[in-house]
Amino acid sequence: MAKRILIVDDEPRYLRLLEANLRTEGYEVTTAQDGVQALAVFSAQPIDLVLLDVMMPRLDGFGVCQRLREFSNVPIVILTARGEEQDRVRGLDLGADDYLVKPFSATELLARVRAVLRRAQPPADTGQARFFSHDNLKIDFARAEVWVNEEAVSLSATEYRLLLQFAHNIGKILTSEDLLTSVWGSEYKNDKEILWVSIARLRQKLEEDAHNPRHIVTRSGLGYLMPPIEA
Amino acid sequence: MDLHTLTTLHDVFDQLHGIQDWKITLDKLFVSLRGEFVFDNVAIYLVDPQTSSLEVAYARAVGRGKTAEADVAWGETFANEVFAKEKMLMQHPVPVPQETDRLLQAYLLGFPMYIGSRLEGVIVFIRFGGPEYSETHIRLASLQAYWAMALIERKALKEARSDMESVQRQMRLQDDFVSTISHELRTPLGFIKGYSTSLLRQDTSWDEGTQREFLTIIDEEADRLTKLIEDMLESARLESKTMQFKFSPVRLDGVIRDVAQRVTTLHSNLRVVFDIQPLEPISADSLRISQVFENLFSNAVKYAPGANIHIGMQMVDAELRISFADQGPGIAEAYLPFLFERFYRVPGVRTEAGTGLGLYICRQIILAHHGKIWVESVLGRGTTFFIELPAHPPV
Repeated sequence: MAKRILIVDDEPRYLRLLEANLRTEGYEVTTAQDGVQALAVFSAQPIDLVLLDVMMPRLDGFGVCQRLREFSNVPIVILTARGEEQDRVRGLDLGADDYLVKPFSATELLARVRAVLRRAQPPADTGQARFFSHDNLKIDFARAEVWVNEEAVSLSATEYRLLLQFAHNIGKILTSEDLLTSVWGSEYKNDKEILWVSIARLRQKLEEDAHNPRHIVTRSGLGYLMPPIEA
Repeated sequence: MDLHTLTTLHDVFDQLHGIQDWKITLDKLFVSLRGEFVFDNVAIYLVDPQTSSLEVAYARAVGRGKTAEADVAWGETFANEVFAKEKMLMQHPVPVPQETDRLLQAYLLGFPMYIGSRLEGVIVFIRFGGPEYSETHIRLASLQAYWAMALIERKALKEARSDMESVQRQMRLQDDFVSTISHELRTPLGFIKGYSTSLLRQDTSWDEGTQREFLTIIDEEADRLTKLIEDMLESARLESKTMQFKFSPVRLDGVIRDVAQRVTTLHSNLRVVFDIQPLEPISADSLRISQVFENLFSNAVKYAPGANIHIGMQMVDAELRISFADQGPGIAEAYLPFLFERFYRVPGVRTEAGTGLGLYICRQIILAHHGKIWVESVLGRGTTFFIELPAHPPV
């Protein structure tokens, strides 16, 4: 079934540009011209990906991102006009999966959308056990659900895939490049900012004390790992 | 040091504490020590950084010189001598027997003043008709000289700080401006980049209609970029006042009719109604004023499409009053105060062609004519721009 993408931008010419290119790839496209409209459209139909402009009247892209993350793990790509680091980091901090800096080329746009949708695919069944546990953390692979202290935790698709890398590699140090390549794709392997922000977010959600993490531990200069639980 | 001296000094400090103005502080300082040290005139000379010569910065007549301030000695020559020798000097008049005018008998006492180790000026005390300065008086005078230096240094620091703050404010404005400009420039660039790379995609083919549509957008956005750059340069020239205005007597009813005619040829559905009273020629730059009218017309076409435009002109005393009214959708009151600001655009009302600089430029042009421009608007009823121009602006 064709994926449906929601595009949110207050400039009709951006809507047209994005829509025309996305349709050539076989995506279904829905549009919204401001943040409030975007939230209304989102709750009215199933959406597989949101392309979200930052500067908009009424409710800006950051606001929309924050609201969406309160109830949905839909992949979100932020369109930022400024291309400034603080905007990108803020978007990622609020739970966006990726960003695209204006001006961008049509091929760049399509590559990012493909990459983000690929990450959002539930990982293939590896024939392992259905459940995984690490101290107070539990994962149900079949339903892609995560609990901490018996409480369900809502993770974005990217965060979930990142967590799986650790769960599948207990006790093994994973480098930034490993993680970026396996979760985001090889074109991201130098994009360390994305990884830092995502790990910080993941820790906020999973760790009791994010500054003193037990599930995802930093090995300075080497990478990150999920340490084995001592029996 | 005895208790009396300490108490006196303490009271002086106490009085001077917290006074902001350095000259008032100095006045109080000299008055408060007059019980201990009497003099008639005091003057402070500071080095003028431009000319490197001494200029008087502070002078007070507190005693005998009061009634003849400008005529009596203020010790300029003596001050230069103190400055040149860089040390405390005293000068007594040559005694003239039977001289009754004490104002001609000036006893001078001068100290060099330093800020840090730099010689910055001289303070001179003057007594008419003596007596000579005693050792105590010299000490007290020297104390007051130090005090005055500290006050002057504080004043210099204050000025430097306020200069720096104003530079910082200027830099912040500049920063905001640069980031606004880059955002404004990036928008048309984003379209040009996006649509041209769409056409260049090798993995898809666009039908002819879509190709034309994309090329048209690229073309229009390139024009918008050009207009944006022109408007930016124009507003920068207006802002820095480097734009030349050529004032000559001109009848603005003729100017606005010309502009209206040009605009109606382009937009055939535009109706313009004139209500113009007999006018005198006024002194104005007709090219710049027609630029203002063009802008108002182009706004009306963009934001109040299909609405009639009413133009009124009349002379009131030595002023020309112009009103330019459309019956369009109007502008919400909350946005009106910002309409003439650089890059301001009413939120939610987007057109492809606007640069956000048009009304700013209009305002700068009218200001250069010593005139006024403002706007009134009622939602659902329309918007009226008013312009007042003096018939004979001061040049």
